[in-house]
Amino acid sequence: MAMSVFRFARRTWASADLEQIAPVPLPKMATPAVVLSSLVVVALLLFVSIGPLVWGQDPSQQWLSQISAGPSGPHSVRLIRDNGPWQPPVSEPPQSLVVHDANTEFVRLQWPQIEGVRRYRIYRASAHKAGLGLAIAETDKAYYQDQLQLSYQIYRYTIADADSGLLLLAREVRPEAAISLFEAQLQGLVPVGKSGRQAKWLEMPGHPLGTDALGRDILARLMAGGRTSLFVGVVAPLLYISFGCIFGAIAGLAGGWVDQVAMRFVDFVVALPFLLFMILFRVAFGIGPGENGIMPLIVAMLMLSWPGSARLIRGQVLALRGQAFVEAAKLAGVSTSRVILRHMLPNVLPMILVAFSFAIPQAIFTEAFLSFIGMGVSPPTTSWGALCNDGIKTLLSHPRQLLLPALFISVSVLAFNLLGDALRDATDRRAGVAKA
Amino acid sequence: MLKFIAKRLLSGAITIWFIATATFFAMHAVPGDPLTQEKAMSPAVRAQLEARYGLDKPLIEQYQLFLGNMLQGDFGISFTQENRKVNDIISKHFPISAILGLAAVLIALVGGVAAGTVAAYYRNRWPDRLVMIGVIAAISVPGFVIAGLAQLIIVAMNNAAGKTLLPVAGWGSVNHIWVPALVLGLGTMAYLSRIMRASMLEVLNADFNTAAKAKGVHGLRLFWHHQLRNAVLPVVTELGPTIAGVTTGGFVVELIFAIPGLGRYFVQAVQQLDYTVIMGTTVFYGAFLVLVVVLVDISYGLIDPRIRLHGGGGR
Amino acid sequence: MKLLELDNLQVSIGPVQAVRDVSLSLAPGECRALVGESGCGKSVTAMSLLNLMPPTAQTNAARWDFAGRDMRQLSEREWRRIRGNEIAMIFQNPMTALDPTQTIGSQIAEPLRIHKGLSKREARMRAIALLERLAIANPAQRAAQYPFEFSGGMLQRAMIAMAVVCEPQLLIADEPTTALDVTVQAEVLSILRELRESSGTAMLFITHDLGVVAEIADSVSVMYAGQTVETGSLQDVFSREAHPYTQALKRAVPNMENPHRLEAIAGTPPDLRHPPKGCGFAARCCERMAICDQLPPNFPCESTAAHQARCWLWHPEHPARWRESEQ
Repeated sequence: MAMSVFRFARRTWASADLEQIAPVPLPKMATPAVVLSSLVVVALLLFVSIGPLVWGQDPSQQWLSQISAGPSGPHSVRLIRDNGPWQPPVSEPPQSLVVHDANTEFVRLQWPQIEGVRRYRIYRASAHKAGLGLAIAETDKAYYQDQLQLSYQIYRYTIADADSGLLLLAREVRPEAAISLFEAQLQGLVPVGKSGRQAKWLEMPGHPLGTDALGRDILARLMAGGRTSLFVGVVAPLLYISFGCIFGAIAGLAGGWVDQVAMRFVDFVVALPFLLFMILFRVAFGIGPGENGIMPLIVAMLMLSWPGSARLIRGQVLALRGQAFVEAAKLAGVSTSRVILRHMLPNVLPMILVAFSFAIPQAIFTEAFLSFIGMGVSPPTTSWGALCNDGIKTLLSHPRQLLLPALFISVSVLAFNLLGDALRDATDRRAGVAKA
Repeated sequence: MLKFIAKRLLSGAITIWFIATATFFAMHAVPGDPLTQEKAMSPAVRAQLEARYGLDKPLIEQYQLFLGNMLQGDFGISFTQENRKVNDIISKHFPISAILGLAAVLIALVGGVAAGTVAAYYRNRWPDRLVMIGVIAAISVPGFVIAGLAQLIIVAMNNAAGKTLLPVAGWGSVNHIWVPALVLGLGTMAYLSRIMRASMLEVLNADFNTAAKAKGVHGLRLFWHHQLRNAVLPVVTELGPTIAGVTTGGFVVELIFAIPGLGRYFVQAVQQLDYTVIMGTTVFYGAFLVLVVVLVDISYGLIDPRIRLHGGGGR
Repeated sequence: MKLLELDNLQVSIGPVQAVRDVSLSLAPGECRALVGESGCGKSVTAMSLLNLMPPTAQTNAARWDFAGRDMRQLSEREWRRIRGNEIAMIFQNPMTALDPTQTIGSQIAEPLRIHKGLSKREARMRAIALLERLAIANPAQRAAQYPFEFSGGMLQRAMIAMAVVCEPQLLIADEPTTALDVTVQAEVLSILRELRESSGTAMLFITHDLGVVAEIADSVSVMYAGQTVETGSLQDVFSREAHPYTQALKRAVPNMENPHRLEAIAGTPPDLRHPPKGCGFAARCCERMAICDQLPPNFPCESTAAHQARCWLWHPEHPARWRESEQ
């Protein structure tokens, strides 16, 4: 029989190819979500720190001529000196509805007297909307000056018989952008007192995100508000987590009845209804005249938010105390403070970091919530929550005023949450590797 | 079981006492008192009013008086709303908050369990991704913003339909409940669906799930008898704190949707330093929450036999 | 007529070829042990026999007949009628395989309710009767209890009751004694043996414990790296072991004749994501030849018709065959 198929190998134990046991891959921190949220956080910090310097507008400056205006670039406006009562020049009455002058300070209308009509009613509507719009005045004269909250858009004026309701005349009017002398002086655009010749046109700064219900620049307010929100969001957790850690560490290290009493106290504080007490404490610390209300806010958060980290750290300290390397260090005569600093602290530090990163979005939320119900910072200081509070009043007519600050809150909370998640996963896996 | 409930109620009572005491002293630490908010009044009138409300006595005596009355369930008369008993305010406005909160918790529970289950069943596929994105969005957007958006949507909807499909705000009919309750429950729903997803994944990988399938159990019976009952346990433990969050978090929604619930009265009372109303509502809320947590613990025992039969030791 | 005939079963889960070639046959009433070390694909085979692999798993077989039906053609609906009714399974760890929120009684009665359409009451009575037969005291009260109130041995008895309550034709026992104490192991084994004698159920007994095999099985299949490498009667496999792996396995078990000499099998099983080209055991085999690394021994290589080994040593052209036949 042919044996060609077989070539006998040496009869030895084949060397076992011991597979390399793959090391647990160290956490990959730089996932796209983490990179993106880090960038967002940096951008937000730049926005609130450098932003105001670059932008340079005063967040409390009120432009009476631009209430709830939409986004606008820098533009020039007419300076209106005379906006007192008005009468049409005595001349031949017009044939139809004529506009003598139209700007955002006033619109001057005149129309022919119509026989049989005793009183005229004037309606004003946005040109792109159907219907008569607002009845802005009734008069027995054949002219009218409209000074009612005009903005830079096309209007349609309709004149009707006030008695019969019969529509008589209509016309679309486009007022040009203007500012009154009074406001220009108020804003410092025109020197006060000098009644000499002044420029007819003024350069106005732009509002890329529009203005709010008091005519303030929303971009500048978002920057100023962000300062408060992020400040509270970082400082309050820093304080209460530090306090909680110290409290928890003392309880855990002391043990015995100290621990018992301390933890009972923690239980009680946890049982307090958080938001009710936030409000109560916030009021209890009070805001004096001229204060911005940030400190009472932080103190109130400190008093109510520390128990979580106290529990966490106490548990960790108790667990570590029982572990061999701590016992060994003690037996080797290492001093207590050194044991704490060199052996325990490095083990609890990652957990504290994770707790901190999750506390930031929480604190931003709490601040926003309190400011939203008017229990947070006090004007003129503002925050994103306070901006939301302003914005919700004009929600139905100008949703932008709520949505913009809300967007900033959401994006920052989201970014910090994602960072916290990544940090937690990293420490979890580190603990897993250490155990394995 | 009875012993367990009694123990929980006793520690609850101590908690309520602590809450009441903390509130009392925090409130009196606030500079001023309810009477200073009124217009200037003559010292005689002021003295008379102080005597009427017991403000002339030393703080400790006021505290004792308050505790005594509290034990009898009497919180006194409101300072700012003439002759209105605090108990009347609570009994008139709390049911509104409670209905809203209950609806919110139900929506959150049903929605969270459903979303979490779907996410677990379709793990790492698009329904899961969709749910998780929704969860992140709901956690990152403040409740008052969601409330505002909801109002905008209602208005747009009503405009598009040309009639009032849903009221934008107010209270009084069933239609007034849906949107505020949904808004109130949304954050909780997100939280619960996260927990539900994790626990359902665990159940789907559990031996007993495979064993049940090996018996021929399938479809709804498998889901209902074996998967849901086990997976919902961690969700139920979270229900106590959840209800607490929803009831106290309700006042923003109440403010925005103009719902005459108790939360609004509380905020008002704090602003006006209305001692009796503050005390009454805080203690009432505290007691309510303690009761809810005990009830949740009991219901947990009903679902999980291990706890029911061990008298609540094993958590 | 065989009850189960399975030829060249292949299951892959993603990149892992967990089962590469498993061939099994069972006669009615036969107890076959499926032996192998952990990770060799025993449990995957068991789950596949119930079509309970996750949808990501790909299952293939050259032949898969059970009680005269081609199982490859069954719909999920038909599978449901089979699971727990015609083929039932006993799981390894009764602590985790019983639903913690359901009473023992209702879990045992569940297959009856589903497959036999019994009323709640009737099913419960049958469950209690079965518990009594399995020597559980106070069966009525016990049936109303929850898994956490049972001891490990009692739980496994409940698990067995759950599996046999519908009197299946085939019972798959996936390491039913592994998670139990030694004393309880013996108890559970005797219950299984008794059940088999009284009901005539065929059994596929999966284990890595050769001692248990000797106690209960009629025939043995040895698995390695996703393949059945040796199949035969208990005597064939235990006293005339043909595959080097089986031989190594036997040397790794303590025995009376040579209590002090135990040999571990050097090396580790191959990575089933990239299974070797040739024989799966070649890398650890002390009889390795050049061809073992090059070609898989996929031929009907048998020492006798009922005793088969998947090994080049048993190839008709192998010189050792000449040697043996000369003896």
